[in-house]
Amino acid sequence: MPSQPPLPPLLAPYVSNLPDSSLTLVSSILGATSNWLVLRFLHAALSSPSPNAAFGSDELHNGTKKKVVLVSFMRSYEFWRTEAKRLGLDLARLADKQQFAFIDGLSELFYAPQPTATPSISPSGLGSSPRTTLPMRSPPGAVPGRSPQPAWPTVTGARGNAMPKQAEPGIAKKLHFSGRGLASLDALEKDISSVIEQQKSSMEDGDELLLIIDQPDLLLAATGPSMGIGATEMSEWITALQQHAHATVLTLATDAPLIHNASTSGGLATPIETEHAALVIGLAHRARSVMQLRTLDTGAAKDVSGVLRISRGGGLNASEESLEEREALYFIQRDGGVKVFGRGES
Amino acid sequence: MAPINLSHRRTHNLLLISKLLSLRDTASPLTLVLDSLEQPATPLLKEYIRRAKLSKVHVTLIAFETLKQPDGVDAFVSTRRKSPADIVKEVSAVYQPVAASNPSRRRLILIDSINPLLNSKRVDPGFHLPSFLGSFIAPTSPSAKVDASLVVTYHQDVPELPQQSPYSPTPISELTYLSTSIITLHSFSHVLAQKAARDRSLAPPVFGLEEEQEGVLLGRLDRLVGTGKAEGIVIELEHRRKSGRGVLEWYLLPPASRYSPQHLKEIVTLLDDNVLYNPPMEQDPGAGDEEPTSTFELGLTDRQRREREGVVLPYFDAQHNDGPGEGGRILYDMGEEDDFDEEEDEI
Repeated sequence: MPSQPPLPPLLAPYVSNLPDSSLTLVSSILGATSNWLVLRFLHAALSSPSPNAAFGSDELHNGTKKKVVLVSFMRSYEFWRTEAKRLGLDLARLADKQQFAFIDGLSELFYAPQPTATPSISPSGLGSSPRTTLPMRSPPGAVPGRSPQPAWPTVTGARGNAMPKQAEPGIAKKLHFSGRGLASLDALEKDISSVIEQQKSSMEDGDELLLIIDQPDLLLAATGPSMGIGATEMSEWITALQQHAHATVLTLATDAPLIHNASTSGGLATPIETEHAALVIGLAHRARSVMQLRTLDTGAAKDVSGVLRISRGGGLNASEESLEEREALYFIQRDGGVKVFGRGES
Repeated sequence: MAPINLSHRRTHNLLLISKLLSLRDTASPLTLVLDSLEQPATPLLKEYIRRAKLSKVHVTLIAFETLKQPDGVDAFVSTRRKSPADIVKEVSAVYQPVAASNPSRRRLILIDSINPLLNSKRVDPGFHLPSFLGSFIAPTSPSAKVDASLVVTYHQDVPELPQQSPYSPTPISELTYLSTSIITLHSFSHVLAQKAARDRSLAPPVFGLEEEQEGVLLGRLDRLVGTGKAEGIVIELEHRRKSGRGVLEWYLLPPASRYSPQHLKEIVTLLDDNVLYNPPMEQDPGAGDEEPTSTFELGLTDRQRREREGVVLPYFDAQHNDGPGEGGRILYDMGEEDDFDEEEDEI
């Protein structure tokens, strides 16, 4: 099979040159995941215009240099690094050049490994959740609780050349969730914005910073209304992050139970169903464009992976720009290449 | 609807929407705009702002989801991390200098989405929606008479959270109860597609979230089958007059690219006046008498019609005894090609 261009031509206008302070929503379901599309966003922002150019020549790329901060709640750095490599993006190298920063929201979000030998149960931030009743180790004496927070910056390190003791270089920051309610979201926001500011410090005029947040809905699902975090708080949190970046891309799950139960079950929906639906639909009202991924309506096919529908979101300024809506099929090949084509084409 | 009715509606209801959108005479202190992902309220809010600019009305936007101050907005109030009381305070603060310099200036307050406020976890249980909204329209000090209109957008498709108290009404029913006008927005192409289906007695199609298809948030696509190039938004207006009488009307607001921002004349039309929605073919008065076309001549000439009317049908005879029918006996004239049947004659 001929190898596909890293950025399918049909997709290119939708993933590159996102306008200022725009929000793009990528929605996925279990059978049609969004990581390939996120990689296309990465590629559109980070690769040099000529496909043959070495990774080193990125800086001289028609004036605007783009930077990306990727916050991932669902997938590890290793995953993104490997997948990006297949597209010809060396994330580790781009990170060294301050063009890319990865924020890990997955590995230690609710777990704080102790830097010293102090055994301790993990985050007291989980409060009364059942986990505290099942300590991983029996804590001898006083539980140090969540006090090591100030110690963290020295361990994870602000990103930069001195990447201390971290096994994985290239991770700018690992997020840790602590406390509850708005305060905990504020802490996360501060962590992310500090990385963004760090990236911005080496930016020149006209440079653009793209913020990609992969599945922030995990945060909502893992905390929920019982911890004082609901759809409104989450979307305010996203608004705050948006203000730091030039453009923002979000991926969210739109599996049927998470979207439709809230409206159809007549008040019997669980809090996560209601909150998730409120978050996703609320964000779609704010988004400039919504890229919806779903499986083929007619069932599985061996040369189609799914359907991509690009729609105008509620936040599109229709009088200033137009966005052509379209629906296309996509096929992810074994080598990671993606073909995007209209119905009836191949 | 009847054509006589239509011209009446054309004059009165167009005047009404023009008054409402241009905020003349504070026709509606509280307007509720119900939108959905299929037809967001952004174009309508833009139209409000455009008209407010033309008539020099002071525009305040209370932003629950807007990031940047849009063009034409005089005061932009961000609501992040603010309690409802703080918002009220700030909204009245931004108007103070204006009120001081030009006390007669009218004021438009837009809320881009009320849902985040209703769903917020931080708002204390004592939050009272009617007094929150009321405080914008009727400031506490009686001396400062402000001519303010409030336009509140509510996203219909965002699910409501369960109520704190099971006995209190839902926010949306409170809102619909309070508002003086309710505007529900529809996408024109969807309205056309639904009408086309209804005209064929088919179930009207649903779009977007209502399709309940996994992975579909928005169903709107530019080219819907059978709708042609339909642009604009359909406004379903319910206006409650002071007398208590309600007015219901459907309008069409053309897209902003069709007219210049300085356009003064009314651009909103009745939906029934639209050629795509109501094709002129159907309004032709002679259309009902048309014969179906066929290769047979189905019509009658005048002479044929006269003769047909002159024919006396047998049952008319049967009704009076003196006629040749004699009470219903079957009269039969033999034709020359008929076989005479003896048995039949004996009956």
